Amino acid sequence: MSKRRLDELDQKIVSALARDARTSNRKIATELGVTEGTVRARIKRMEEEGQIRITAVTNIDHLRNPTLAYIWIEVDSAAQVQAVAAALAEVQQIGFVAVTLGRFDILAITLVQNNGQLADFLNSRVSVIPGVRRTECSLGVTFVKHDYRMSKILA
Amino acid sequence: MAEGVLRDPVAERIAGSDSLPLDDMDHHLIALLRQDGRMAYKNLAEKTGLTESTVRSRIRRLEDNDLLRVVAVTDFEAAGFNLMLAVGVQVEGRSAADVAQDIAQFPEVFSVCQVVGTHDIECLMVAEDQEAVSVLLTEKLARVAGVRRLLPAMAIDVLKNQPNWVRFDAERSRV
Repeated sequence: MSKRRLDELDQKIVSALARDARTSNRKIATELGVTEGTVRARIKRMEEEGQIRITAVTNIDHLRNPTLAYIWIEVDSAAQVQAVAAALAEVQQIGFVAVTLGRFDILAITLVQNNGQLADFLNSRVSVIPGVRRTECSLGVTFVKHDYRMSKILA
Repeated sequence: MAEGVLRDPVAERIAGSDSLPLDDMDHHLIALLRQDGRMAYKNLAEKTGLTESTVRSRIRRLEDNDLLRVVAVTDFEAAGFNLMLAVGVQVEGRSAADVAQDIAQFPEVFSVCQVVGTHDIECLMVAEDQEAVSVLLTEKLARVAGVRRLLPAMAIDVLKNQPNWVRFDAERSRV
């Protein structure tokens, strides 16, 4: 399932798009000294193969629920981990779900307004999932960095 | 002919301000750009029923007010990173904010948040392979002044990832 790595020209095109992805192909082509068709074809291929995704990102300072909550979840039995993770991924408010090795079985990340809302969310949406044994939360105080240029692109 | 307003739970979470109130059309445009950041102005105009020049000026206004950016996001694997880790950091003898700033300097660490809980900082990072993990944890993070303990978890299966919360200020200058 591994993805093809980006070559040098791919990377240069992506760098140009990372600043402002609505830059025209022609402008990128001129900057890089290649044809417009090459730029267009490369972008199309990279998108089709899931190597890149061109999307609008939004500023967390302008979201209604600006506090990040990291929810670490321990599952009753190892055999239930995937099912619990899949159930968490179905919850609309949760933006990130990964099965992990180490600290806990699953990490889920969501945005909340405050502590109280987090408690409600845990009780109503997380603890009710069959197999969830225990949760531990870290509540964001200051969001220092998020490099949106890198991500796990899912099909 | 314009289609109905596209509902996007993330786009709708963006709050306007007194100086820049957002309406349904703004949320519609944001939702369309989240689906396809390179959609031509002409298509955006067709789908919203707005004129092309209105679409342009609305998008520019969102960008100028730092509400929205359209960017290329690169997949970790395509960039050569095969492993992803979530690492909790316990801090001692130094402010967690300062430690978090230092940790944020490492390019492999793509997300850093100062938190309250069992740990003082939560960060997400990528590594090329196991050796790179070792270097990152023991030679880079562990040597940041004030880091007492590192609690890593390795992500073996990412089921959901919507990169929709970002900080704008610091990053443009880093590019």
